[in-house]
Amino acid sequence: MSPAAGSPGWTRRRFDVRKRYIAGVGDAGVRVMVVDDHPMWRDAVARDLAEAGFEVVAAVGEGAQAIRVAGPVRADVVVLDLQLPGISGVSLIRGLLAAHPGLRVLILSASGEQQDVLDAVKAGAAGYIVKSASRAEFLDAVRRTADGDAVFSAGLAGLVLGEFRRMASTAAPGTPRLTEREAEILSMVGTGLSYKQIAARLVISHRTVQNHVQNTLSKLHLHNRAELVRYAIEHGLDSSAQPASGPAESTPKQ
Amino acid sequence: MGRVDPQAPLWRSIAVFRSASLAYAAYLLVIREANYSHWAWAWVVLAGMAGWTIVTTVAYAHPARRTWFVLAADLAVTAGALLSTAALQYPRSLALATMPVTATWVAGPVLAWAVAWGVRAGAAAAVILGACDISLRHQSLAGTYRSTALDGAVVLLLAGIVVGYMSALATRAERALQRATELEAASRERERLARHIHDSVLQVLALVQRRGAEVGGEAAEIGRLAGEQEAALRSLIASDAVPTPPSGESDLRALLAAESSPLVSVVTPAEPVLLTDAAAGETAAAVRAALDNVRRHCGHRARAWVLVDDEGTGVSITIRDDGPGIPPGRIEDAAAEGRLGVSQAICGRIRDLGGSARVTSIPGAGTEVRLRVPRGGKPGLDAEAV
Repeated sequence: MSPAAGSPGWTRRRFDVRKRYIAGVGDAGVRVMVVDDHPMWRDAVARDLAEAGFEVVAAVGEGAQAIRVAGPVRADVVVLDLQLPGISGVSLIRGLLAAHPGLRVLILSASGEQQDVLDAVKAGAAGYIVKSASRAEFLDAVRRTADGDAVFSAGLAGLVLGEFRRMASTAAPGTPRLTEREAEILSMVGTGLSYKQIAARLVISHRTVQNHVQNTLSKLHLHNRAELVRYAIEHGLDSSAQPASGPAESTPKQ
Repeated sequence: MGRVDPQAPLWRSIAVFRSASLAYAAYLLVIREANYSHWAWAWVVLAGMAGWTIVTTVAYAHPARRTWFVLAADLAVTAGALLSTAALQYPRSLALATMPVTATWVAGPVLAWAVAWGVRAGAAAAVILGACDISLRHQSLAGTYRSTALDGAVVLLLAGIVVGYMSALATRAERALQRATELEAASRERERLARHIHDSVLQVLALVQRRGAEVGGEAAEIGRLAGEQEAALRSLIASDAVPTPPSGESDLRALLAAESSPLVSVVTPAEPVLLTDAAAGETAAAVRAALDNVRRHCGHRARAWVLVDDEGTGVSITIRDDGPGIPPGRIEDAAAEGRLGVSQAICGRIRDLGGSARVTSIPGAGTEVRLRVPRGGKPGLDAEAV
C-alpha cells in the first residue's frame, strides 16, 4: 500500500514541519492539499484557502492520486471529501497517513453519514466539518488542524461519545475509557458550546479544554491502531521484516 | 445476457441414468445367457445401445441440440433395441416376461421427453415404449393383464409423469430465483446510484448555501433555502440507512431525525439508541415540546442543539439553545398561571417514564433542558426546575 516514499525522507519532512511551527510561520507556511471529486467544491475550497493565505500545494479529485502526491508535495494538512469514487474514506486516510505520516487529515463532507465519519476519525482523521459550514468556520477548522488541534463539531462529539459508550458496554480488556471530565466536556461540545464557553463554565483554561478533547481522539486512534496490530498478529500478517523498534508512526497500517 | 440453462442438471442425470442402465443391461446379459437364442447378436445390440448412449449424452448436453428430431430418433432407436429382443431371446423366455435386452435403459427417452416437453410428452413416450414391451409377449396377450409384463409399462408411465412434473417445477423455480437475483442486483445498483446522486445534490446545496451567505441580499435567502433542503435531505438519507429495530422497540435517533434543520443540530451516536416504543415516543414528544419552547421564547433565529447520549442504563438528552435564557422563577409562575408548557409537556412526560428532567438557564447564555430516561422504567424521580 505504502508507495515509494522512503522512511528517511518522511522523517526529515516531519522535522521540517515541526521547525516551521517553532519558527511561528502563520497560515502562509501551511501547505494544504484538497481532495474532492466534485470540481466545483475542489475549486471553491482551494480558492478560499489561497485567499486566506494558505499554500494550496495540490487539488486532486481521486484517492489513489492523493496518496501518491501527498508525500512529494509535502502537504501539512489534507482537506478530504469522504465520498470519493473507487476508494473508501478509511482506506484513503490509512493510505495517506502511511505515505506521509506527519499529515493531518480534516474531513469535509456533504452527506456526513455517521458511521463513515466515525470510521474515518478512528482511522486517524484529526477533525470533521460539514460542507454547509460557513467559510469562516471552515478556514478556522483548517487553521486549527494545522496547529495540531482536534476539530470537533457538535456532531462529531456525539459520535465519539457514543463510540466510547459502546466500547464501555462491551467491557473487552484494554478498551479505552473516558474520564468523567472528558465525558463532561464532550457532552458540552455535543450541545454546541464553544471551547471558550466550556472553559468559562468549568473555570478552566481554553487550552485545557482543547487538551481534553484532543485526548479523547488520541485514545480512539491509539486503540484503533492497537486493534489493527492485534488483528494483524492474530491473522499472521505481521511481517518480521518490519523493524520492531521505532516510533509509533512507523507501525505498519494496512 | 448469458442465461443459465435451468434444465442442465436434469439432462445430466438422464445421461448418468442411461450409462448406469447400460451397465445393468450388460450384467443381465452375462448372467442370463440361457434366455438368449442369439447371445452374440445381443452383444451387438448392446454395443449399439452404448453408441446411442454416447450420442444422446453429447446431443442433450447443449440446449440448442435438444431438437424434436433428436428426441424422436431417441424414441425410435430405443424402441428398435427393445423390439430386437423378439429375435434374440427364446419365445419361452419372452412369454415368461424376462427382462428384454434393453432392461431399464428403455426409460431413457421417456425421461428425455418428460424433461423436454413436460408431463404429457413423458406419458406419451412411456405409452409407446410400454406398448412395444407388451407386444413382445403377443403370444399370450390374453394373459397380459395377469402377467408381470404390465409392471414395466406402468413404472415407465409413472416415471414419465413424475419427471415431467418435476422438470416443469424446477424450471419455474429456477426462473423465479433468477428473476429475484436480477431484481436484487438492480436494486443494489439503484441504491449505489442514489447514494452517489444524494451526495452530489448535497454538495451542490451546501455550495449554494455557502456562496449565498457570502454574497448576501437575495442570494442569502436562496442560500438559506438551499440549506434547509440540505438538512432535510440529509436527515432523510440518515433515517433511510437506519436498520429496523426489533419489534416493540424504537430507535430514538430515527424519531428525532425529523427535528434536524439548519437551526437545530441533532447530535447522536452512530449506533441505534433503542427504547421501548412508548418510551421513545414520549421522549421524542418531550424533545419536540422543548424545541417548540425555544422557537416560542427565543425567536425564529435561535439555534438549538439536541444531544442524545446513550449511557447504557438510560438515555440522556440535552436540549440547549443560544437564546436569552429564562429568568429565575418563570417556569413555576407559568405553571401556577395554568400555562403548563415546560412543566407538563416536558417534565410530566419524562416523570411518567420514571426519568428526570432538569431545566438550567443562565440569563444571557441560553437554556439547557436535560432529560434522563432510564431503561426498564425505574421508580419516578422528581422533576426539578433550577
